[in-house]
Amino acid sequence: MLFRISWRNIWRNKSRTFVIITAIALGLWGGIFSTAFMNGMTEQQIYSSIHTETGHIQINAKGFLLNYDMLQYIPNADSMAVSIERDPAVAAVSPRIQMMAMASTASSSTGVMINAVEIDKQKKVSDLHKSVIKGTYFEDDRSNPIVIGQQLADKLHANIHSRIVMTLQTLENEITYAAFTVVGIYRTHNSDFDRQQVFVRRKDLQSLISFPEHAASLITVLLNKTDDSKEVTARLKKQYPSLEVQDWQQLSPMTQVMSGTIKQFSLIFVGIILIALAFGIINTMLMAVLDRTREIGMLLSIGMSPSKVFRMIMLETILLSLTGAAAGVMVSVFTIMYFNHAGIDLSMLGEGANALGYSTMVYPSLGFEFYLQLAALVIFIAMIAGIFPAVRALKMNPSEAIRGE
Amino acid sequence: MPVIEIENLKKTYTETMVPVHALNGINLTFQRGEFTAIVGPSGCGKTTLLNMMGGLDKPTEGIVVIEGTDITKLPAGKLVDFRLKNIGFVFQSYNLIPVLTVEENVEFIMELQHRNKKETHDRVVYLMDKMGLPDKLDVKPKYLSGGQQQRVAVARALASKPKFILADEPTANLDSVSTSTLLDLMANLNEQENITFIFSTHDQRVVDKAKRVITLEDGKVISDSLNS
Repeated sequence: MLFRISWRNIWRNKSRTFVIITAIALGLWGGIFSTAFMNGMTEQQIYSSIHTETGHIQINAKGFLLNYDMLQYIPNADSMAVSIERDPAVAAVSPRIQMMAMASTASSSTGVMINAVEIDKQKKVSDLHKSVIKGTYFEDDRSNPIVIGQQLADKLHANIHSRIVMTLQTLENEITYAAFTVVGIYRTHNSDFDRQQVFVRRKDLQSLISFPEHAASLITVLLNKTDDSKEVTARLKKQYPSLEVQDWQQLSPMTQVMSGTIKQFSLIFVGIILIALAFGIINTMLMAVLDRTREIGMLLSIGMSPSKVFRMIMLETILLSLTGAAAGVMVSVFTIMYFNHAGIDLSMLGEGANALGYSTMVYPSLGFEFYLQLAALVIFIAMIAGIFPAVRALKMNPSEAIRGE
Repeated sequence: MPVIEIENLKKTYTETMVPVHALNGINLTFQRGEFTAIVGPSGCGKTTLLNMMGGLDKPTEGIVVIEGTDITKLPAGKLVDFRLKNIGFVFQSYNLIPVLTVEENVEFIMELQHRNKKETHDRVVYLMDKMGLPDKLDVKPKYLSGGQQQRVAVARALASKPKFILADEPTANLDSVSTSTLLDLMANLNEQENITFIFSTHDQRVVDKAKRVITLEDGKVISDSLNS
């Protein structure tokens, strides 16, 4: 009966109830959608980082990443790759040679990082081939093909079929030069990556710098599930103690920091919204209690205990809040579903977003567990908000309340 | 044993600059089956006396004993429970819970007493039949006339099987026909089922129907007589 009374009491003043429910719904929608937006940005950045740059796990000789010394290589990289690929958590493995070089055209020159890859294996650990906007990803049968980023192409004034001269250092410490033909130009969400990373065939670079066969500078590992990263990394560390094994969070600490910062910011943002809404709820419920002073006096008189009156008011507050929250969540779910499919175009941010590694097309997303946490938070805030009006009702003297005082 | 015994009841309100002596030493007893009107000018203490008898307020001095229980000494929690089981109330207005139907309003008091569903339903049907409103069970109070609402309030007060019913100006907002119907109903219940009614009233029609009339002035009983 108490639930019935409480639910019906909410709807006694329909306009007042609709105002507060709308306020709660809009407030929550704002908080949820912005969280989904930021979550989507972060997830894309992480996905992009993993599937374009680092993979889930990277293995290299100890000290290699400090100065990219070519002599710090993994001699049996190919057989290691075969062994690692047998792990059921692993989706694909790709060894590559990585070295710094100078890229020059007639117009300009700049430092780059050469990635010499096995094309087929690299396609399994990286989505870079999907980012090619001009030309192809090594489908051209020219000698010494090279795929470069759009930013680098602009800097070097290069295009498809342009020749780029690479100044390289061999393993014997000699300087050598080689001309590469641009067969593909790619564009990712990371402008720094596009400016620095170039891709050539492993066999082409091996012969140029006398790099040992079956050896590699590093091995990129892609897993079936990102959540397995820590576990598999630990396993590989045990298996190869003389090598450096790092997961994507260690390789891209900035991604980790940004992800953590955004999550915390989202929680604070939603928390602030809920606290603001709590004051609105308190005001509405206080008005509802004061409007019903005589009725509450009558209830106390006929034998309804003060604790039941307290519970009735608390229940009204919780039901009001949950109704608003349900409306807010429903609107959020539909808008997130829509924009998760259609995307939000932030191309006006353009360079700024790409410089931080973010895509200009954002697909908001949110896990189910967030909604459960939010529901719990709404109930908690509602209970806190309900205390003041419920205590106000509790303190009523029945004889004074009936008189309307 | 009297239903209600009041000894030296005093109530002083001290909220204002000048204390207000609402009751100045009331001594009364009420027997089962009484149909009593408490009358007097505005501010004489009628409502205050009813509030004391109903345990809605605490006296400054004196005691109120209901069938052997001194309710002035009961702690707040027990007092609520005592009111629920022993005392019925009919107010001038705001008697019914607007969001509940007639049936739910009458059931409400029995649900507070944790009676079983069958007993509750049967009693509701019986009482609403007695009130002449058997077809109004599913109607909300706003669709009833003032007189009908008061009859439902009487049914609700009777539902808990109280020792007596306190009615504070129950006819104040009613037209003459509704007043007459309500009073006849209450008088019949008093005659046939020996239900005790104690009214505070300005309404001469209530006074005329009453078996006993107590007149208050300045918080004191100035006359207490049987109505011929």
